[in-house]
Amino acid sequence: MKNTLRLKTLDSRIYLTFTILIFIMILIMQVVSYYSASASIRVNAIETNRMLLNRLATQLNFYLDDMEQIIDNVIIEEEVEQLLILSENEENSVLSRDIEEKLSTFHKARRDIFSIAIFGYNEHIVLDNSLAELNEFARYKEAPWYQGAAELNGKPYVSSSYVQNIIKGKFSWVVSMSKEIRDLGIVLIDLKFIRIQELCNSLTPGKKGYIFIVDQLGNYIYHPSQQLVYSGIKREPVQSILRNETVFEEGKNYLSVTSEKSGWRICSVSFEDEIMDSWKNVQYYYVFIGLISFIIVGFATTFISQSITKPVRTLCNAMKTVESGEFHAIGEIQATSEIQELAYEYNIMIGKINELMQTIVSEQESKRKSDLKALQAQINPHFLYNTLDSIIWMGEMNRSDDVVRMTSALSKLFRISISKGKEIISIKDEIHHVTSYLTIQEMRYKDKFNYTIDIDEEIMHCKTLKITLQPLVENSIYHGVKSVDYEGLIEITGRRVDDNIILKVSDNGKGMNKEELDAILNTNTSKTRQGTGVMNVHERVRLYFGDSYGLEFNSIEGIGTEITVKIPYMEDEVL
Amino acid sequence: MKKRYLIFLSISAAAILLFVLTVFPDKGSPKLKLSSPIPVILKANTSKPFDFWSVIKRGVTEASREFDMEFYFTGPEFEKDTELQAKIMEEIIKDKPPLIILAATEYEGMVKNVEDAVKAGIPVITIDSGVNSDVPISFIATDNMEAGRKAGYAMSEILKKSDNRKIAIVSYVKNTATAIDRENGVRETTKDLEYLETRFCNGDRQKAYEITLELIEKYNDLAGIIALNEPSALGVAQAIDDTGKKDTIKVVGFDNAPEEMEYLEKGVLKAIVIQKPFNMGYLSMKTAYEYLSGKTVETFINTGSLLITVENMYHQELQEVLFPFGE
Repeated sequence: MKNTLRLKTLDSRIYLTFTILIFIMILIMQVVSYYSASASIRVNAIETNRMLLNRLATQLNFYLDDMEQIIDNVIIEEEVEQLLILSENEENSVLSRDIEEKLSTFHKARRDIFSIAIFGYNEHIVLDNSLAELNEFARYKEAPWYQGAAELNGKPYVSSSYVQNIIKGKFSWVVSMSKEIRDLGIVLIDLKFIRIQELCNSLTPGKKGYIFIVDQLGNYIYHPSQQLVYSGIKREPVQSILRNETVFEEGKNYLSVTSEKSGWRICSVSFEDEIMDSWKNVQYYYVFIGLISFIIVGFATTFISQSITKPVRTLCNAMKTVESGEFHAIGEIQATSEIQELAYEYNIMIGKINELMQTIVSEQESKRKSDLKALQAQINPHFLYNTLDSIIWMGEMNRSDDVVRMTSALSKLFRISISKGKEIISIKDEIHHVTSYLTIQEMRYKDKFNYTIDIDEEIMHCKTLKITLQPLVENSIYHGVKSVDYEGLIEITGRRVDDNIILKVSDNGKGMNKEELDAILNTNTSKTRQGTGVMNVHERVRLYFGDSYGLEFNSIEGIGTEITVKIPYMEDEVL
Repeated sequence: MKKRYLIFLSISAAAILLFVLTVFPDKGSPKLKLSSPIPVILKANTSKPFDFWSVIKRGVTEASREFDMEFYFTGPEFEKDTELQAKIMEEIIKDKPPLIILAATEYEGMVKNVEDAVKAGIPVITIDSGVNSDVPISFIATDNMEAGRKAGYAMSEILKKSDNRKIAIVSYVKNTATAIDRENGVRETTKDLEYLETRFCNGDRQKAYEITLELIEKYNDLAGIIALNEPSALGVAQAIDDTGKKDTIKVVGFDNAPEEMEYLEKGVLKAIVIQKPFNMGYLSMKTAYEYLSGKTVETFINTGSLLITVENMYHQELQEVLFPFGE
């Protein structure tokens, strides 16, 4: 978790990058679609409201047209004129009743009419109902519908909404239409306001929205909560509504149209939060998409990073083994081509390194071998010089037989020790070699020692390292039998023991004390040539045949020395 | 590892959700989630068009539409049925509604019920007529003292130039909080007049009529009567009209029954003081909304009163208060 937070691991970086990207993407999508969606939703809402309002305005016009039609029908009645041209004091109850009947018929045809009445300038008044009584306290001449119609001279006047009180005992909310009859009087029709109210209520935009109506001056004709408006609890931007078709204020959309006939401004109020209600769902979709994307990113990140880090880790582990000195190739791994390439190159590199290592090892080995060869060569001049001395001496003594014998032995010795440069020769040749050497030495140290050679015929054709026995015999002579006052005996035996060949060189000489033995075994401190020779044999045997082979010393002071050579049993068909 | 991612995921998802919702905040008033509709218990659950209570109902309905709140009306059919109202209240408390709006039938009699509701964790808003307790979160009503002062002021103006300054008060129910307030208000602004006495008609129009006849008989130089509610005003006005003394005995009344309007036009009633029941209803629901939204609300909201005379009764702003919309 710490790593994840510290952004050190690949997967945490991938995850964070993707998450932030998606976050930003969703936000941008959200913002863009909010603005485009809200614009179109609003346009739609406004369109719907406009249709609604136009329908309302049309219906209102219908109403008013109907009313005007009724008024015109009243005006053209002959009786009406007859009544209105009467003088103030003239009574004509028949005429009055006749007109009353006619008005009553018009009234009954329409349920939304509160009253129809004629007010003559001659003070003759006819109502549409014989039972209705004129309210004596109603100052109708001061009423707007009366004065308005009188001013308009035959054009219809449409009032605001108000409480009509011309009929005694009845107060009703009406909208009046009135028209002057050729300077004779005024016809009045009161339309029940509740019809307009019902119309407004039936066409509300949305659940919370409402419709209200104002006149040209901004006075309320209808508002569902008129009292709140007058009390200042509610406020509508009436002045802006009169000037503009659409007004946005405090989360409310005001849309208004003008009804031609009445000049009223019908305004619908819809609430922004209701309009944007459907937007809420879109938001939830985005949140949902976001959630899904995050989950996908989570899994994808784990997958992607694993497919990267797993092979990388395998690679790492493989490389770590190099530290401990092993050079292993990785082999096939499942990974992306880049990582596979990397593994492939690594494998090649490891191969090269292995090759180089082997070259170095073999070079080292051959170098040591050549060093040994040089050592080997060191033996020869010393020995040669002594032998040649002996030959010269024998020649001077005219012991020509001995000269021949020694010279031929020397020649044999050299031939075998050269052996055409081969390192491995047969035991038979090796025995010939040591025999030649012994022949020479025996002649040089006359009567000093004797020797026996006892090699199993079975192993005669087996392989051995050349010049193995000669240095040991040399050691036996110089450190064993040479300095004793009795005749020494050097025994050479060869036997097969299991898969090994054991060659032994033993003498009955003075033996070696511990210091001498150490001196031989530790070639580095040894200054004697002989010691170098024996240890050289040991090293060579081990180098050629392995660490489990080599020399073994067994020496007791005053009794003698026995050196055992252990080499593997190897038959040599070629030799 | 995967588990950690999922934690990371849910945090991110929550963050984006929060972010999205705060970047695009709700415009307008947020909708309240109510566990059940709000009961509105009235003194009289009627639907007569010009009735005080049906206008209150219209106000409540309008506000509930605006604030998107569910509600229902209940209450006894007639005003003085305290027993039934108490019973209704008990039943409602069992339902555990989010809030109760109550117009108490009795100032003392409903105290226990209101306190029970508050004990049950239901806030109560009282409208029009309160209870003698300070547990309701808000009381929304006409300031009756103020209304009384208006009536008294009108009477003192009318009788300013008259030599005869004797007035009587016809009240409705003795020891009713609103009646006491109104009378005190009247008395405050009629100190320059000569106060005779207060009579109670117990909300009975006929009784008020008889009281008026008695008063006319008793005080032959009576100059004015102030009637403190609708039946009192109607009884007094009728008596004055019948005896033809509308010019000698000036009457100031309360409330706006259509018949009172006629008396006003006729000149029998010289002035009336009216309440604003629509606003009362509207504000009760609005206050309920505000309280439930966690806002602080006023403990008393005065919905105000208006003094109406024949001169201003047809004014645009006053018409709708005097003649509520309706058939």
